[in-house]
Amino acid sequence: MKRGDLLLVSGILAAALLVMVPRWVQGGQISEKNHNISKTAVIKVEGEVYRTVKLTKEEQTIEIRTDRGYNLLKVHDYGIEMADADCPDKVCLTFGFRSRQGDTIVCLPHRVIVEIEGASGEGGGADAVI
Amino acid sequence: MPLSDEETSLVLKKTVMIAIFAAVAVVLSIAESMIPVNIQIPGAKLGLANIMILTCLYFLRARDALTLVVLKTILTAFIFGTFSSLLFSLFGSLLSFAVMAVLMKLGRRQFSLIGISIAGGIAHNIGQLAAASIVFSTLNIFYYLPALLISGIATGILVGIAVKYLAPALSRLTLFNVFQKS
Repeated sequence: MKRGDLLLVSGILAAALLVMVPRWVQGGQISEKNHNISKTAVIKVEGEVYRTVKLTKEEQTIEIRTDRGYNLLKVHDYGIEMADADCPDKVCLTFGFRSRQGDTIVCLPHRVIVEIEGASGEGGGADAVI
Repeated sequence: MPLSDEETSLVLKKTVMIAIFAAVAVVLSIAESMIPVNIQIPGAKLGLANIMILTCLYFLRARDALTLVVLKTILTAFIFGTFSSLLFSLFGSLLSFAVMAVLMKLGRRQFSLIGISIAGGIAHNIGQLAAASIVFSTLNIFYYLPALLISGIATGILVGIAVKYLAPALSRLTLFNVFQKS
């Protein structure tokens, strides 16, 4: 390791933590009253809204079948996750269970994107993204 | 103008090296896809193929490494059937290649192979996120960037260490003698 390496690593680490730490703090505060606010997930395929689902505690599954392939989304415990997909890279399955506003699940090969939004009229559009 | 025997042999050696490196890079990608990883960082991967690209940059010119990068990306798309996302992979690998080539040429005194491999890995992540955000026209995807940065440092260090051991080992082979840098 040379001096430049250390500078590079510490620079990147600092940048990453600068974004992540406020997010953790904020997330902790929100999670207590989290359950009262209903959220929705907007599912888009190729840029068009495919379906909008309310994130409920009860389990529900959403199947997406397009020319490109098949994705299975599962809603439960006020969140959503990609349960199955036949895309070649399976990156969408690594997103795991997502329940916070602004979270996204993406399946690039199938052009599927799931974005979690706050309930409408709650004044909660997308969070500012830097 | 016909090339002299020596030049012909050099060109041949280069071609053979690029071909071998591409083959090894593809095999490394396949091996990597068989390693089960259960971390919730979408897009994070070991990037073992980067070992070959960085080694190629170390021995040969940037132009030759570019051939390797394009070859490797197209071959893996063939094998994994990821043609629909070929453009994104190319976007990521070319950005990663550009960053590493520049650092290799200009920053060799400040950066070791480990630093260059970290920078390359992270450039790859940023390139893919950028491509995805263009397709979906949303910047929300960059939400995952900080986690990817941290995983990129970890995998970059691993890849860098691998190259650090691989490069001197290859230098001992006669095929690589011509490309030795003092």
